[in-house]
Amino acid sequence: MVNFDTLEEWQKQTSLLLQARPTTTRISTKYNIPNLEAPRYNAAKKRKRDTEGKDGDAAPAPAVSRATFTLKTFDPVSGVTLKFKTDKSADVGRMVAGLGRAGGIMAALPEKAEGMLYNRLEAQGSGVDHSIAPDVAMEDAAASTGTTLAEASKDTSQAAPTEGKPAAPAAAKKKKKGKK
Amino acid sequence: MASGHISNGEFFTQLASLIEKTQKKGHGSVHLTQKRLSYETTAAPSKDDPLADLNPAAPLPILVRVSDGNTQSQDRVKNKDPVKFATVVQADELETFFARYAEVCKVGMQSLRKRDRSKRKKTKKGGAKGAEAKG
Repeated sequence: MVNFDTLEEWQKQTSLLLQARPTTTRISTKYNIPNLEAPRYNAAKKRKRDTEGKDGDAAPAPAVSRATFTLKTFDPVSGVTLKFKTDKSADVGRMVAGLGRAGGIMAALPEKAEGMLYNRLEAQGSGVDHSIAPDVAMEDAAASTGTTLAEASKDTSQAAPTEGKPAAPAAAKKKKKGKK
Repeated sequence: MASGHISNGEFFTQLASLIEKTQKKGHGSVHLTQKRLSYETTAAPSKDDPLADLNPAAPLPILVRVSDGNTQSQDRVKNKDPVKFATVVQADELETFFARYAEVCKVGMQSLRKRDRSKRKKTKKGGAKGAEAKG
C-alpha cells in the first residue's frame, strides 16, 4: 500500500494503474467523521486522569471532531493500493475533479478531454499548503511531556523504598549478558 | 444491489441526504466507489486474451456505489438494512455527473478543515499554555 503526500502524485499513479487495468481497478472515496465517544479516542484520556488525579484537567481537552476525506485506488488482481488522505475542505473539489478524470479513463473515453482536465488540475495544485504538520507535532509534544512528567515522578517515588533490596544487582547481570 | 441501480438524479438526492444525516449524527462515514461497468460486455479480460479490456471499441459506462459502511452491527451481526445504493453513468454524461458530484460533496461535507484557520490556531495555543501551567 502506498500513501501519497500530494494529490498530483496520487492522480498520476492512478492514471497509470487505470490504463494498465481498466476493468478491475476501482476507486473508493471515504468521508469519515470520527466518533469521539468511541473507546479508541477515550482510552488515553482516562489513563491520564488516573495519574494526575484531577478531573478538572481532562475536561477542557480540545474535543474537535476532525473529519477526513480519503481516496483509495485498488486493483484486486495485482493487489496495488494507492491512497491519499486530506482533512481540508479546499481539496474536495480538486479530488472529485480527479475522480472525474479517472472516470474518463475507466470509461475508455478519448484521451483529448482527459489531458485538458489534468493540465487544469496541475495548475491548481501549485498552491497547496502543507501547514498541518507543525500543528500536529505541537499537540503531540504537549501531550507526551505531560505524561512523561507524571510517569517520572511515579518512578522516583517507587524506586526510593525498594533500593535496599537485591533487585538491582540482578538487573545489572542481565544487562551484561545482553551485551555479550 | 438487490434493489438494482437508480437514476442519476435520484442518486444525488439520496447521496445528499446520506451526507446530511452523517453530518447531523456527528460521526460516521460515507463510502463512494466507482468502477467500470464490465458486466455483460465482451471487453472483460480472459485467459485467451488478457489484454482484451485495454482498447474497447466503444466507451463503457461507469458504476458508482454509495454505502454508509454499516454492514455489521457492533456485535458482528449482519445489518439487515444498510444504506446502500448504486447508479450507472453513461460515458457521455460523465462530465456533468462529476460536476454535480463535486457540488454535492462540497455542500455536504462541512466537518472538514476550512480554509480560514486563524481563529482555531489562537484558541489552540491558549489551551496548550494553560495545560502546561497546571502540570
